Amino acid sequence: MNIELALQTFLDESRELLSDMEQILLDLESQPGESELQNALFRCVHTVKGSAGMFGLDHVVDFTHVVENVLDRLRAGEIKLSKALANLLLRCRDHISLLVEVPEPAEAVDLQPAGNALLVELEPFQSLPASGNGQTPQPQNSEHGKGDLWRIGMRIQADALRHGMDPLGFIRFLGTLGELVSVNTLDDGLPRLDQLDPEACYLAFEIELRTTANRAAIEDVFEFAGDLYQLQLQEPGSAPEAVAAPATTDMDIVEAGSREGKMQPADQADAQRGRRRKPVQHFRVQADKLDHLINLVGELVIASAAVSLDADRSGNSTARESAANLNLLVEEIRDSSLDLRMVPIGETFQKFQRVVRDVSSELSKDIELVITGADTELDKTVVEKIGDPLTHLVRNACDHGIESPAERSQKGKPALGRVHLNAYHESGAIVIEVSDDGSGLNRDRIIAKAVERELVRADAELSDREAFNLIFEPGFSTVEQVTNLSGRGVGMDVVRRNIEALRGAVELVSPGVAGGTTFRIRLPLTLAIIDGFLARVGEATYVVPLEMVVECTELSAEQQAVSNEQHYIKLRHEVLPLIRLREHFSHGGERSRRQNIIVVRHGGQKAGLIVDELLGEHQTVIKPLSGIFSHLKGLSGSTILGSGQVALILDVPALMHQVAQHEDVANRGIHPNARPRLSASYS
Amino acid sequence: MNQPQRKEEAVRIADTSGDQNQYLTFQIGREMFAVGILYIREIIEYGSLTTVPMMPEFVRGVINLRGSVVPVIDLSARFGRGESAINRRSCVVILEVEGINGDEEQLQEIGVIVDAVSEVLEIPPGEIEPPPSFGARIRADFIAGMGKVQGNFVILLNVQQALNTREMAELAAIVDAPKDARDY
Repeated sequence: MNIELALQTFLDESRELLSDMEQILLDLESQPGESELQNALFRCVHTVKGSAGMFGLDHVVDFTHVVENVLDRLRAGEIKLSKALANLLLRCRDHISLLVEVPEPAEAVDLQPAGNALLVELEPFQSLPASGNGQTPQPQNSEHGKGDLWRIGMRIQADALRHGMDPLGFIRFLGTLGELVSVNTLDDGLPRLDQLDPEACYLAFEIELRTTANRAAIEDVFEFAGDLYQLQLQEPGSAPEAVAAPATTDMDIVEAGSREGKMQPADQADAQRGRRRKPVQHFRVQADKLDHLINLVGELVIASAAVSLDADRSGNSTARESAANLNLLVEEIRDSSLDLRMVPIGETFQKFQRVVRDVSSELSKDIELVITGADTELDKTVVEKIGDPLTHLVRNACDHGIESPAERSQKGKPALGRVHLNAYHESGAIVIEVSDDGSGLNRDRIIAKAVERELVRADAELSDREAFNLIFEPGFSTVEQVTNLSGRGVGMDVVRRNIEALRGAVELVSPGVAGGTTFRIRLPLTLAIIDGFLARVGEATYVVPLEMVVECTELSAEQQAVSNEQHYIKLRHEVLPLIRLREHFSHGGERSRRQNIIVVRHGGQKAGLIVDELLGEHQTVIKPLSGIFSHLKGLSGSTILGSGQVALILDVPALMHQVAQHEDVANRGIHPNARPRLSASYS
Repeated sequence: MNQPQRKEEAVRIADTSGDQNQYLTFQIGREMFAVGILYIREIIEYGSLTTVPMMPEFVRGVINLRGSVVPVIDLSARFGRGESAINRRSCVVILEVEGINGDEEQLQEIGVIVDAVSEVLEIPPGEIEPPPSFGARIRADFIAGMGKVQGNFVILLNVQQALNTREMAELAAIVDAPKDARDY
């Protein structure tokens, strides 16, 4: 480990802390005065400051110190978190996050004016030191020369320097808590020169610190160092002799000393902190390592399918059994490794608190964001790509959905508008809903617009659902006024395209009686491996995503005869439109005598795929198709079967859409209503 | 399965210096073609190909090349001379070209079907003539030049152009469009 890496860790941690800070600030608005949150808020800034101090990032320390002071007063109850202060603190947070990204204090000059402006605004909230000398945000001054005398024994593990934990940084930072009365370096741990490892740290320190800070604050300074530093804190007023303990060169004694009864307060503090951290333990893994692992698991799945196939062919029962065992394990490995990449969607949702807040103040509307289902998990690769479409939908909801407060009160609605983000799992997919309690969509206006843009014929009879989903068509936008927030030509069609690129779907579900709009997005949990259902058509093998398969049934001779005439059959009192894959994909060859139907469902529609043979379930590792196939519709990718053959994965939604379009073209010809449209199956 | 047949050979040849002027020659129909050796990844036996529906004639399908799915192009069909008939000596030559993948440009592996692979030849720049403006019965932009080999001409392919993924994708889109109301 070197300083670069440590700095990277610092950056990662700071980003995390700062996003926590944003979250806490927003939470505090709804639960004002919640002391746990206020403490957490303080800790965030404090830790950033502490870590920054260690790396000598003075520009960060100077600024955060002031913010920290304000937060300290806040948690002490001396000031209240007003809306103005919350706004200010949010802006401070943004500023800190800018500062943190600047590696050298000298390079932060550009940010100085903005920082100073914020500091001026913070001034009224700052504690005025007793000396009355509070004009300059010089953190140290106010605390110097008062407080109690703490004696700190500091032992450092030999490899502290290799981890970038320079003791000088810590001592310097301790100095920001108060006044360093004395620093005594204990060099008796130094070995003889010929045994000395120049990269190791052999020093110990004895420090006298005069400060008003409490024990926890001093210990927090060393929080970043983990186990590399061992502290012995001598409380003010205790007998100074005890401090001598750290001076002993024998490590064991120091450690033993810290375990003894008289150090109980420290132990308690440790225990408390331990409890705070216990519930979930995380450690960082580089994302590409994880991706590599998942790729390998994909290959493993394919290889194990090949083994099963061979074992089956061999007819050797023990081989078959081992292969089955292997398969089970591989399946488990697949699931748990995919699980590693699963993250709760809450983090993504939380970002929208800020979006909604900013947007609503820009529009001078009162909007609150309600989040439910934040624990719902989905693949990191999906999460990364869902942000943009979601932002668009949320902004749209705020901008076009929610009315102005005046309009709302006229309608007898509460002035506070509400945008709701919800997520839940449903049969192998995650569903995300963005809803608002605004004015809802105007059906007639949508249709008028669509006719004007020649998206539908004027005499078209559309169900509500079809009408509302017209807004996803390219070149559709009902709001003439281009606002700053949305309506910049990036329409809902882009949202739909982005989501479909993730093998998902988006639809507008029936607006409620009270108005309001709900967008429902369905996404696969992962983009890497899916459960598939194999079917043979001619010589080709196709994979249907299993989550879309409702049932499989044989096409009876009678139905076959009927379906030759028409393109639907009756299945248990329901009309089932059929897609003949053989004809659709222009496969030559003879139909097999017995044909099968795979009933698939997508977005409320059902359709029957006619295939020659059902081959059963298959763990499908998705392999992207080359760019040559980018315009190909109805197929979403490929996979490799146990036999080494490539099989193509059917894109059921696109397929259904495509067939409906083909039929539309046909219908516009001679027989206007000769065939039921595919979309007729839902109602 | 698709085992690399002459990979070692290809590597050995590529290692010898002066590979800028080295070309792999192969036969399509009755004509000899050549491709710069630096584009060639490997040569494999023709087999176990999966057809991709709704693609133009020149996209023969995809194969499994040690875990990755690689498209296979029929150059004869691409040149507008009809599908090449598979024979005992048919091979798939795997080439590496710049191509689109989503929105990104990146190196891609593409297989081409050839009727027979001949040999690796050195053709010095002095022996290469500019492409004829007509008469080759192949789109002029597919030809990088005409190489003289033992008194005969071989067509040096402009691989980037002949296997332009963007163009091929667009052609595929035309085929894919609802050209008629297909009767089901």
